[in-house]
This record gives sequence, structure tokens and C-alpha cells, in this order.
Amino acid sequence: MKESRMSKIIGLNLIFGLVLLGLTPGLSALQSWKMTIYYDYTYDINDDGYLTEAEVDSNNRFFFRRAYFQYENKIAENIKFRFRYDADRKADDKFRPFVKHLFLEWKDLIPKSKIKVGMTETLTWSPIGEKKWGYRSVAKTLMDNYKGVTGKKIDATSADLGVSLSGVVSKEIRYAFMVSNGSHYSHPEKDKYKKFMGQLHLVPIAGLSLVGYADYEKQSEDESALTYKADIFLEMVEGLIFGGEWFVYDSDVNKVNDRQFNRSGFSFYGRYAAIPDKLNVFARYDRYEPNTEAKDDEINLIIAGVDFTPVHSSFKIQPNIWYYSYASPEKKDDIVFNLTFYYTF
Amino acid sequence: MNFRRLFLICLICFGIIFAVNFTLARQKMIQIKGSDTLVNLVQILAEAYMEKHPETPIAILGGGSGTGIAALINDTCDIANHSRPLKDKEINLAWEKGVEPIRFIIAVDGLSVIVNESIPIEKMTMDQIGAIYRGEIKNWKEVGGSNKPISLYGRQSNSGTYVFFQEHILGKQNYSPHMKRMNGNAQIIEGVIQDKYGIGYVGVGYVIDSRSGKVRKGIKVLKVSKNANSPAYSPSDKAAVDSGYYPIARPLFQSTNGKPKGAIWDFIKFETGPDGQKIVEREGFFTIGSAHKAQNEKNLK
Repeated sequence: MKESRMSKIIGLNLIFGLVLLGLTPGLSALQSWKMTIYYDYTYDINDDGYLTEAEVDSNNRFFFRRAYFQYENKIAENIKFRFRYDADRKADDKFRPFVKHLFLEWKDLIPKSKIKVGMTETLTWSPIGEKKWGYRSVAKTLMDNYKGVTGKKIDATSADLGVSLSGVVSKEIRYAFMVSNGSHYSHPEKDKYKKFMGQLHLVPIAGLSLVGYADYEKQSEDESALTYKADIFLEMVEGLIFGGEWFVYDSDVNKVNDRQFNRSGFSFYGRYAAIPDKLNVFARYDRYEPNTEAKDDEINLIIAGVDFTPVHSSFKIQPNIWYYSYASPEKKDDIVFNLTFYYTF
Repeated sequence: MNFRRLFLICLICFGIIFAVNFTLARQKMIQIKGSDTLVNLVQILAEAYMEKHPETPIAILGGGSGTGIAALINDTCDIANHSRPLKDKEINLAWEKGVEPIRFIIAVDGLSVIVNESIPIEKMTMDQIGAIYRGEIKNWKEVGGSNKPISLYGRQSNSGTYVFFQEHILGKQNYSPHMKRMNGNAQIIEGVIQDKYGIGYVGVGYVIDSRSGKVRKGIKVLKVSKNANSPAYSPSDKAAVDSGYYPIARPLFQSTNGKPKGAIWDFIKFETGPDGQKIVEREGFFTIGSAHKAQNEKNLK
């Protein structure tokens, strides 16, 4: 039934794309479409962990996680539009499509820069980190995955309505700024306050990237939230990428008994191209600290897997394993195996 | 718990074994990707090299200069073939990813503007060609032909030839949206042969029929002049290309990540040396000059 719904979604996306093509016949050569889908066969290796115990009657399942449909129209050499439809499982457990990106991108309006206006990816989401980790099909990066693992909110939406400017000063220095609603791509703006984001990316020597990020948003007359984050990426050995991410989310809203606390976390990961374009191996360690003032609430997560491209880059098989361990003595560890199927065309 | 640990250990061992095995396998073959203009020439150079060095297999793929440069930056090839210099964006990305492209010039191309053989035109100026490809001139009668629409053939945007032509002929302006974007030089030639009103641009190595040694049947290679007051030259005129009188000549590049070593070094040395350059000439391209030779030697040291 769910697969049938998925087929309808894909069908609607294709129809939408064809309608757009029909509306602009002369520009067909400047338009592009892309579809990316990933789903898992998931098997709970143990059945007595904090997560797996609850699913003991259903210890294996097929699980559709994501379907993207992207349409881009390059209306001039330096201007393009992007429309991206996304579908994932929402709180009501239904697979629903929604608009993820809808923006205009203008290159070199300011020399060596790019301006985006509309619903676009945020800097919090860390496009650089996502590329270096490279396995969104397996797991989102630390901040994006935070709520999924801890169940706690940190205002780290991956897309939002606003304006961003990113550019290159030299090959060693890149920058980005963004102002957005701060309300998440699936919610309308409810207050007068905006979220301000800034990012500085330094590449002091070839293969070493240091990225600093901070954002600020007033949440009410008396309350505000601040996020600061640092990433490091190392690409000095052929085929090998190492990355690290650390962040703190400091919000006045986060209080227990009038005592303010922060949420934080860090992550290290690496991937290696054993056979370029054919076989990669990857591993990651995440540590989540949902409440800096509470004891025994930390979560450790180890992810490891293989990325195999049997025929063509449009189809990948990515077997991976997730190992959760908890600081709380009341929670037993979980081990989950996923056989991830990735398609893009 | 023991089972979990065992599973993780097995997974890590599996990864390490694969990594070591396939890294060793990978080191044996030279992988070359990129420019469609260069793909045939480098294939022939590689075959000649492999005859003398059967212990060094070489695999060559096309896909366009952009694809080759991206592959070099992403560590998925040893040599990138490209018919345009690297863009700033690519240089920055290479730096970020710890890749230091070292460039070699292996041949010179007189980029050739071709038309269907039925078009009664022998030459054009750079401005005329630019106006045609921008879509400003739409009819052959505007450039001295008959009253027929012009049908444009060009390359897709990841092609180095596409970028070179846009920068040098179109004045960095947009191509006409009506241009048919073909995957390679051979497809452009085929399109122009089939289309009575067709015009296209290809590497000079593609316009000569290797069997007859003459221009391929069904197409005509136009002479090109810098402006209306200067003489027009053919891209097959070696003296005009060498002297710079032919206005759309360009070097053809290969890049490696850092200074090449071992078999890669040896292969590039062969391509840029006398034996390789004889093949370059035989295949319709032009040999490199002394300045390019000196630069290559410096990068090979």
C-alpha cells in the first residue's frame, strides 16, 4: 500500500516535470531533472536494547526513507532556478511529499559569489559536511540527525525560507551568510524574529579544511538561541577523507527548574575509496549530549558500512550497521543492520 | 554482547581486506578520463605505449573535460584529459580536497567550424560565428548563404570545447537555447552531415577521414578570420595554427595529481616525446611547440 502511494508520488513528480518542460519548449536544453531515492531493509540484530526491545515483534522491515525529485532551469549562464520535491515519513507515519527547495541562484552578481533567494539549504545543515561525509543515504550528519537519535529539538533545519550569500575570497578563504525565517521549511513564520547564520571556511593548506559556524535568533522578547559549531576535514591521502563536527546549541528556552542547559554533540567519520567508483568503506562515531546539566543521558552511536556500486553510479548498495550505546544504566545497547538501496537518475 | 563485538570486528576486517586488495589492484592500471576531443587520440597513444609496455594497462574514458577534471579532483582517475584550462572553482575545490593539478600540453587543436557540404559558404569571421551561436543570426542569408534557417550543433556544458568556444567566440555570452547539445565530436559531425542547414564545431582531429586522409564526406570545414579585414585561415593549416593566425587554436591538456611518478610519468613522457608527437600529427592534431615542451619537461622533472 505504501509502495503504491510512493508510485503515485513519483508519477505526480514526473507529470509535474513534463508540464514544466512543455511550458518552456525553447529552453529544454537548459533544464535538468534528477531523482534520488533510498530505502532500507532493516534488521534488528539484538532484541533487548532500548530501541530494539520495543520492536521485538517486528525485528525486520523494508523502509522507504527518502525520495527527491529535483528540477533545475538555467535561464542564463549565471542564473538558475531550482525546485526540489522531497518525500519522507512524517510524524503520522505517512510518506508525504513536500517542497524542500524553491530558490533562484544568481552567480557573480557580487564577484566570486552566489546569492540564493527562496527556500534553500541552510548553513546549519552544513552543505560542506554533508559532501565530506557523503552518505546521507545512510545517515544524516550530526546536527541534522540529532532529533532522530535523541528525540530533542535543536533548531537545525536543513532548509528554510530566506536569502543567502556565499563566496570565495581566495582558495584559502570562503564565506557564507544567511538570513532566514528560522521556522523550518515545513512551517510558516510565526514571529517577527529572523535567524542569522554565518560561516567561515578556511583551507590553510591543501586538503585541510577548518569551518567555523554560528547562528543567532531571538525567540521572544526575552529569549534567544545561539548555535556554534566547528568542522574539520582532512583529505591528504588519496581516496581517504576524515571529518569531524562539534556543536553547542545554547537556547534560553532550554530550562529545567529554572536552570538553563545546552545541547551538544560531536562526530568523527572517515571514508575510503577502496576501488574508485566501485567500492568505498565508511565509519562514523557520534556522541550526543541532550542536556549538559543532566547525568547519564549521553548517547554514543557507531555507524560502519560498505558502499558498493555493482553496475553504474546510479545504483548503489550500502550495507551498514548502527550500534547505539547509552550512558544510562537503564538502557541496553541497540544494534541495527540496514541494507540501504540508493538510486539516482 | 560478544556477538555484537564479533560482528563489528568482522565488518572492520572485511573493509580492511577489501581496501588493501583493491588498492593494490587499482595501482596496476592507469585510469584516464575526460575530454571527448582527446579521447580518440589518447586511446591511440595508449595503444602504442601498451605495445611497448604490456605490463601497464591503460583505460581511457571520455565524458567531457569537466568530467575528467572532476574525476581527478575526486581521486577517481590518474590523468584528466581536458581541452580547456581549469576554472577557478575547480582550482579551489582541488585545493580543498588536497589535489595539486600539474598540467601538461600534449597536442594543439585548431578548433574547426564545420557546415553541411551543401552550404555555399567557405569562410566566416569570429564575429559572425559568435552571432550565429548566440542566436542573433538565424538565417544563412545573413552571412552570404541562401534563405534558409541555421541549425546549430554544439556540445554539452561539461565539455571543454563548449567552454572554450563560449569564451573565445561567444564573448562569454550564452549559447542560443536552440542549439542541439551533442555528447561528442562524432555526434556533431553526424548531425551536420544529416542536416542540410547544419553548423557545428569540433576538434580538427575529427574532420579528416583516417582512411582517405581527406575531409569527411558530407561536411565542409570553414576558414575563419579574426575580423572582416583580416585573411581567413583553415584549421588544417599548420603554419597558421603555429603562428597564431588561425584564431581559434588551443592547447590540449592532461593533468595529474602532483608530479607524475612511475608508469604515469613514463606514459606522459612518451606522449610528449618524439614517438607520441608523431602519432599526434598523424591523427590530424598539431604537435606542441618549444615553449610547451619546456614546460612539460619542467613538470616531468
